[in-house]
Amino acid sequence: MFARLLGESFARNPRRKLLTAAALVIGMAVATATLTIALEVGDRLAREFRSLGANLLVTPESDTLPVEIGGVDYRPVDEGAYLNEADLGKLKTIFWRHNVLGFTPFLDVPAYVLETGGSTTLIGTWYQHEVPVPDGTKFQTGASATHPWWKVSGTWFRDDSDECVVGSTLAEKYPAAFVLGKTIRLAADRLSGGGRSLRVTGIISTGGAEDNAVLVPLSVAQGISGHPGKFRQLFVSALTKPADALAERGERAQTDKNLQLTPTEYDRWFCSPYISSIGFQIRTVLPGTEVHAIRRVAETEGRILTRVGTLLWIVTLAALGAAVLAVAATSATTVLERRAEIGVMKALGASNALVGGIFLAEQVLLAIAGGAIGFFLGAGLARFLGESVFGTPASPRLILFPVVLALAATIAMIGSLVPLRRAAHFRPAVILRGE
Amino acid sequence: MFWRLVAQLLRGSRGRLAVAIIAIVSGAAVISALLNLDLGVQNKLTQEFRTLGANIVISPAGDAPAQSSSPDVPTLMPADDVLQTLRQLPPAQVTAAAPYLYIVARSQNIPVVVAGTWLDQAQKLDATWKLDGNWVASREDDSHCLVGHNVARRLHLAPGNALELHYLDRGVQCSVAGIVDAGDSEDNQIFASLRAVQSLANLPGQISLAQVSVAGTAPVVAGYATHLATVLPQFQVRPIRQVAEAEGALLGRIRLLIISMVLLILILTALCVLATMAALAMERRKDVGLMKSLGGSISRIVGIFLAEVGVLGAAGGLLGAVLGAGLSYWMGLRVFGTAIAPRWEVLPATVALMVVVALTGALPLRMLGNVKPAQILRGE
Repeated sequence: MFARLLGESFARNPRRKLLTAAALVIGMAVATATLTIALEVGDRLAREFRSLGANLLVTPESDTLPVEIGGVDYRPVDEGAYLNEADLGKLKTIFWRHNVLGFTPFLDVPAYVLETGGSTTLIGTWYQHEVPVPDGTKFQTGASATHPWWKVSGTWFRDDSDECVVGSTLAEKYPAAFVLGKTIRLAADRLSGGGRSLRVTGIISTGGAEDNAVLVPLSVAQGISGHPGKFRQLFVSALTKPADALAERGERAQTDKNLQLTPTEYDRWFCSPYISSIGFQIRTVLPGTEVHAIRRVAETEGRILTRVGTLLWIVTLAALGAAVLAVAATSATTVLERRAEIGVMKALGASNALVGGIFLAEQVLLAIAGGAIGFFLGAGLARFLGESVFGTPASPRLILFPVVLALAATIAMIGSLVPLRRAAHFRPAVILRGE
Repeated sequence: MFWRLVAQLLRGSRGRLAVAIIAIVSGAAVISALLNLDLGVQNKLTQEFRTLGANIVISPAGDAPAQSSSPDVPTLMPADDVLQTLRQLPPAQVTAAAPYLYIVARSQNIPVVVAGTWLDQAQKLDATWKLDGNWVASREDDSHCLVGHNVARRLHLAPGNALELHYLDRGVQCSVAGIVDAGDSEDNQIFASLRAVQSLANLPGQISLAQVSVAGTAPVVAGYATHLATVLPQFQVRPIRQVAEAEGALLGRIRLLIISMVLLILILTALCVLATMAALAMERRKDVGLMKSLGGSISRIVGIFLAEVGVLGAAGGLLGAVLGAGLSYWMGLRVFGTAIAPRWEVLPATVALMVVVALTGALPLRMLGNVKPAQILRGE
């Protein structure tokens, strides 16, 4: 009987249900889309922030004080400690190895350019280099990952060749010496003679000290300086989570003997991709190093990520609020419109509970159907939004499906409860008279 | 007569109108809050990006004659023109600006990079520096300096200690005001006043470069750099690409994200108001029947109802817009720590939008033309 009444109601007047159903579908689609985006946006934005380049700097421990102006180290080559290039693969063995998006070693060497008769700085680095990882795989990384804003006109050097890229300021200063495709000769100093011939493949403009230097493959700089297999600085670009109270305690516990993390805290710190815990893990695989967070980058990133995250959650809440409002308003309208029907039912002896039950069952059925359609529409919408904002579609979260269905059913019920309670006070006679 | 009827109608059905008003007010509040937020957010985020530090560097031009072939002293430039320009920069746009002269001096017989600069600008130019001790308040203060924390550890310095710097046969003494933890190459440097370093190195009036931090989006900064380049043709003025590029791309993405979410909510809110107004219009059928049977013309009747709906939309929109401004003010405080000032253009936009949506919701009223009074009054 109950089911028949319900079926009749749907069959007889499908247009009436259309408004509620449409509101449910659209409301739930928006809710699904915003929730999907909000759940994913932290990861996406963190990845986008890597366009700021490296956020960790690894230097040898107990090094002499770097005499560095504008990124160029003016220390004599034989002073200070070095790190081993062979150890770099270990970076991809740490707990958060997948968050290490790239790393680039640097070796700065003063050198003498025979063509200009002047000395300059050679910066030995990688552009795209394959690093063997201890687990047998290879990882391709270099300045392309850690310094994405470096622009080269021409092409980059190949990492295994006698090629070089010249800084734009230097190239402007000696237009005759640095010509694309021509060869220059470099020596460690004026007296050693001979020198190494390198072909100029590009002019680099970085907006930094590199504009005044010659960039060469790391192996070339190692050869000229006589330090094979060594480097001095390592820039690491890692996906991190914005620092919070635990991250700060964890960082302080590294240096401060009085501050100890409890084992649970330590585990939580170690297993969160904070910049301090990734730095700690890098130090464990590269002993004898100091790992610094490049605070300018890390802090700006953390702060903006936190803020945009909060902002998006507020906007998501607003979207949910709007969806609730829309569904509740249409549900209320439906009940109000059908007062006459309620009057007839009650006049025929239906109890308030039965009337309420029929209406609520109707709403819940509508909510489940509308919520399901809305979920798939919303997943499509999120895909589209992800594609247009971040270039890759946001993957649908199936976990949201039951959440959205439950949400739809709840708000449809709440939306009809108030008018139904009022309907309970209807006097059939008054309604049937049409007043 | 017309407005009396409208007023009567508004007073008559309070219960149903309450629902409509609530829908319109909350819709308008959400819309105006989000519009305010969207307009304010770019401003706020750009400010956040300023913690990345300076975004314009003024350095010696590339074709300047190399003054020294030794890398120990990088190319220098005369300071007067640059400093004059820096002092005249409008403070509204320029967050901070400072000249730098880098030399390699010796302290306790260890070579160390000393940067001569305007110490009062350091805090604003490098907002992420952590300082143990005190900032130096005046750029004229030659007796204090800031020390990078690697230098401090190596030279065993603490705030308040005296520090001696030697360059060739000259020497200078300053007292350590604070230890800087920058997490970058500044940790290996000593920062002293420009005048002190110039006299130490016997390079009066010379600087290595100048850094400027300009507020605004990437195009604004680029425009500013072009402007500076025309004012200072003898120098190289360039935006720092790391900051400019990342900032432009990130801001674009974040805004696009927020705008698309706001659009979705706008549609949803409009739908909600639309549904409520449609319901209200349906309710009015009986009144229409009565009016028609009393001889009212259909255009006049529809006019009355549209006026009713329009008044509702305008009043609800106004109230909602004000509420929304308060909401965005609170959101600004909550998210960015500083309030988002409500924009005036949002108020009329919200009210207009609400009136339009409410009137659209009343569109079913057009069908009233087909209403047969007898049928409606019979209650069919």
